[in-house]
Amino acid sequence: MSTTIEKSQSIETETTGPKKSGFLQTLASSSATVILPLLLASAVLLMWEYGVQLAGVPEVILPSPSSIFKVMIAKHEILLRHSQPTILESAGGFALASILGISLAILLSYSRIAREALYPNLVFFQLIPKIALAPLFIIWFGIGSESRLAFAVFISFFPIVISTIAGFASVDTNMVRLCRSLTATEWQIFTSVKFPAALPYIFSGMKVAMTMAIIGVIIGEFITAQQGLGYLIVFATARADTVVGMAAIATLCAGGLLLYGLVAAAEAVANRYYGVPRG
Amino acid sequence: MTQGGDFISAVQASKTYTTRSGLVHAVQGANFSAKEGQFISLLGPSGCGKSTLLMMLAGLESASSGKLVLAGEPVLGPRRDTGVIFQDATLLPWKSVLDNVLFPVDILKLARSEYLDRARELLERVGLGGFEDKRPHELSGGMRQRVAICRALVHDPKVLLMDEPFSALDAITRDQMNVVLSELLERYRKTVIFVTHSIREAVYLSDRVLVMGGRPSSMLLDLEIPFPRPRPFEIEESQEFVGYCRTLRLTIEQGHSHSDSSRAKAPVAKVST
Repeated sequence: MSTTIEKSQSIETETTGPKKSGFLQTLASSSATVILPLLLASAVLLMWEYGVQLAGVPEVILPSPSSIFKVMIAKHEILLRHSQPTILESAGGFALASILGISLAILLSYSRIAREALYPNLVFFQLIPKIALAPLFIIWFGIGSESRLAFAVFISFFPIVISTIAGFASVDTNMVRLCRSLTATEWQIFTSVKFPAALPYIFSGMKVAMTMAIIGVIIGEFITAQQGLGYLIVFATARADTVVGMAAIATLCAGGLLLYGLVAAAEAVANRYYGVPRG
Repeated sequence: MTQGGDFISAVQASKTYTTRSGLVHAVQGANFSAKEGQFISLLGPSGCGKSTLLMMLAGLESASSGKLVLAGEPVLGPRRDTGVIFQDATLLPWKSVLDNVLFPVDILKLARSEYLDRARELLERVGLGGFEDKRPHELSGGMRQRVAICRALVHDPKVLLMDEPFSALDAITRDQMNVVLSELLERYRKTVIFVTHSIREAVYLSDRVLVMGGRPSSMLLDLEIPFPRPRPFEIEESQEFVGYCRTLRLTIEQGHSHSDSSRAKAPVAKVST
């Protein structure tokens, strides 16, 4: 190897070599991102707790965090029983929406006719306040979980379609040209370049879709269900049992966090293989 | 393939695009030929059609008329025996350096194990030994382009098609890359078509420099650069080298003034010496 090359290599390694940013510094910055929000949340909960007590707000209007927590412990069996259908239907709706959304995005990305015919209609469709259609789903699919599942898919698949299409559009055209110059098939280009490059977009769509799917199921439960957290919220608040209603909401938050966390965890796994680390 | 015969040839190759404002002649009646193992530069100002001609040879653009022949066969589409290098390194950001180099092997469904040693050897030769497991974002621009060169060579193509591969790099890195490429080709002999708008780069690397220019674009000059190989970088300071550069620059300027007289506002040529 000539000296020129070796020299150039050492010059370049200097500028791009491993960063030795302090371990303590990263620890401090990461703890700031965790500790600060936690501190704020605790402060708000404390103010809530003592504000309610000091101002003498009746429990039916706003129960204190501690009484909600006590009810959650005391009625955990009921809460868990009602969480089950809500969580399962949300997860199911989300899964169906992901499959449908990604498939539709692939179709729209590859077929010009499909794109030109469908895409404007999809955008128009998005303008409909979809929640208004919830009662229709009961008429179409009955009062069983089918209607809630269908409604969850209906309101959550759109973000996946849009972000997946954006993901495919973001692919470096030169990368595709490189593949073509190597006589790659469309399938090879899709699996080795387009899909991995679109993954971050797909996941950001899926994270939105996950929360939307939960909203869809809860709305369905508000309308017809005989079980589920949405049903419990309506049932409890109708009897002015605010504490139980709030306990159901808190349980729903926990369930939502769990589902969202699963998607985020899947994203983290995908990032390890296909992520572009910011350096 | 007969030794000494034309390995690559273009006969009246043209490319016409239809745009809203009418027909655009990107390449018009390009004629040239290259022998096996020759390093040919296509030199000219931006917009002279040199990149389009290269993409036609790569099979990525179809010729509107005329004929392109590569290794005795007409070019009808991309071929397995060409390696293409673009201005950007176009590496897959989620793959390691080694996996990026082996990308053509995967696409062409060749046995990875048979090419592993070659990939490592190529990386070693361009000064990237030990960088196999790095990801592209950990490398500098010059290093990334070296990876792209290794990738283009890994499946041992007969022809290397390079589209302004070093134009995005700074001047110092660019000089280094010219030496790297030149040394690499001493070891792995290839027929190379190299598109550039740098006169010095063209003279240093090439056996022949073809100047494209004028409007509509045509071949203005076919200049032989007879320096023996391997070429030390110091030849850039020799009288002959400077002379070749001067001839080329004058040709480009004439081609341009010619088009200036026929078309009032031609864009200013970006030609660096």
